[in-house]
Amino acid sequence: MSLLQIRDLTKKIGNKVIVDQVTLNMDKGEILGLLGPNGAGKTSTIRMIVSLMSKSGGQVLINGTDAHANFEQTMKHVGVIVENPDFYKYLSGFDNLIHFSRMTPGVTEVRIQEVIALVGLEHSIGDKVGTYSLGMRQRLGLAIALVHKPSLLILDEPTNGLDPAGIRELRGHLTHLAQKEGVGILISSHLMSEMEIMCDRVAIMQKGKLINIYKISDMAADERTQVQFEVDRPDLAVQILQTLMSGDEITTDQRHIQVSITKAHIPEISRKLMEAGINVFGVHAVQKTLEDKFMEITGGEDH
Amino acid sequence: MISFIRNENMKIYKRKRTWVMIAIVLLYVVLQIVNLKTAGSGATNDNWRAQLEQENVQFGKEATKTDALNIEIKQAEKHIVLNEYYLDKGIPPSTNGWSFAVSQVRNIIFAVSLISIIIAGEIVAAEFVSGTIKLLLTRSASRSKIYISKYAAAILFGLMLSVAGILTSILLGGFIFGFNGLADSYFYVKNQSVEEIPMLQALLAGYVLNIPFLLITITLAFMISAAFRSTTFSIVISLLVSLTGFIIAIAMDGWSWTKYFVFSHTDLTPYIYGNPSVDGVTLSFSLIFIGIHLAVMYLISYPIFVKRDVV
Ligand SMILES: Nc1ncnc2c1ncn2[C@@H]1O[C@H](COP(=O)(O)OP(=O)(O)O)[C@@H](O)[C@H]1O
Ligand SMILES: [Mg+2]
Repeated sequence: MSLLQIRDLTKKIGNKVIVDQVTLNMDKGEILGLLGPNGAGKTSTIRMIVSLMSKSGGQVLINGTDAHANFEQTMKHVGVIVENPDFYKYLSGFDNLIHFSRMTPGVTEVRIQEVIALVGLEHSIGDKVGTYSLGMRQRLGLAIALVHKPSLLILDEPTNGLDPAGIRELRGHLTHLAQKEGVGILISSHLMSEMEIMCDRVAIMQKGKLINIYKISDMAADERTQVQFEVDRPDLAVQILQTLMSGDEITTDQRHIQVSITKAHIPEISRKLMEAGINVFGVHAVQKTLEDKFMEITGGEDH
Repeated sequence: MISFIRNENMKIYKRKRTWVMIAIVLLYVVLQIVNLKTAGSGATNDNWRAQLEQENVQFGKEATKTDALNIEIKQAEKHIVLNEYYLDKGIPPSTNGWSFAVSQVRNIIFAVSLISIIIAGEIVAAEFVSGTIKLLLTRSASRSKIYISKYAAAILFGLMLSVAGILTSILLGGFIFGFNGLADSYFYVKNQSVEEIPMLQALLAGYVLNIPFLLITITLAFMISAAFRSTTFSIVISLLVSLTGFIIAIAMDGWSWTKYFVFSHTDLTPYIYGNPSVDGVTLSFSLIFIGIHLAVMYLISYPIFVKRDVV
């Protein structure tokens, strides 16, 4: 059974369809990215998953249970931060954490200390949230979203306000949660580069519609990609490669040759080059990025 | 449920502003004491008879003024009857901590109500303003639970602050005017004659029978807060309604249309101290009338809060 199942989820406001028949499945231990430009409907989709918004149609199942009909039961297993991480500014970080911990039965003192340490807020947890930077509020948000050990974690634009080091750290947390604790994680972003480094799969949204879902790891394997070989004698290498494929697919400079092949061809070509006495110093896949993909699919509109 | 109310209490009492408001109520009590003390009241002196007679002359004038309000005439007449009773029986009227508290209960609850409006007007709307509502409503607690715990916390605030105000009156009043008098009776005028009840009973009745005012004002502010999500709108409207309601109920006391005016039913003490100001109005009528108002406010705000999209 999927951790999260969304079927034909739709939201109409007036005569505007802001989420249009979105269908997607998510498993335990998976990190799924929801990618799309501002206004694509990512936040609205998340709001409907967690019942902040009513739906005009469709269904949301969490662990197989209807999330709207059994709100209290399903939300026990969900940790979510929607849009900005907003807290009670006049309370300390600790009081904010206590406040939301109390709302789910069974959260222990030990667990609270554990999440504080996890997000690295030990030294500022006693300060008023009003004094926190956006990055610190993101950390507190993560602590609050995790304190009751949810099996589904939903973060809406969690990288806003994080510097590159912060993003790397967040990726570390998410990977750990997904791989070691089997948490399913749904994150939204309008930045493709972030999605690419953090997610297992990426669902692309545009104008309320989910237009495609990609597995990041698959992309290089079954599609032709530009692969670069670093060699000592490029001219000779070109000749050898020409016997394997037509010349217009090969580009070259002083130290590299570049060909458009699938991943599966890399070992064969390397072997042929080495058999001919050419030294291969490196093989480098110039991956087609998600950004290229996104441009291809959306025709470059909106971004 | 308890943990939800604890959360709401934490958000109320960990704000400095709340303590400023609590201090205002206590300051009000202090000012009343200073007022009484400087007016020379409280001390029983030798010529108390002369003083009471002089008071009665004054009350007599007030009661016969052509532009006097119903309630002024009624109050003056009651004072005269009471003073004559003291003169007859040779009881010098005395002020002490207890009788001071009894005399202040209604005012304290009025002051507390106005302050509670600020708390109740914010308690839901502020969550929308700060954005915290998104976290609050995604934590495996139904919206009904959140709504009820917030309402309970607002009412509890009003009830507790009233008790604090009354206790302060007894304590400070006692230090200034003395603590003797708990065993005395509280005298009041009913049907032109003087009756008495134990002091503690008068104090308790004053508290319990004025709670409807607190309930109506807090519920009004809470309703607007939950339905319209605007703190300013909620606080301003509720303050205006409560203040004018309070004043109109006093000014129009005795007019028959006030039978259908809710603020004429929010002080239930007439049901022990005398007759209701409009003929034919009974305690159950008052209670039902208040109940209907509370129910209507609830029926407006609850469905809106539970159903509306949070964006
Ligand atoms: N309450 C609302 N009323 C009308 N339109 C809305 C409302 N909320 C969102 N929208 C519209 O729905 C679209 C999707 O918004 P949103 O879900 O916030 O997108 P994203 O999170 O992808 O940036 C936007 O065009 C936005 O203007
Ligand atoms: Mg958004």
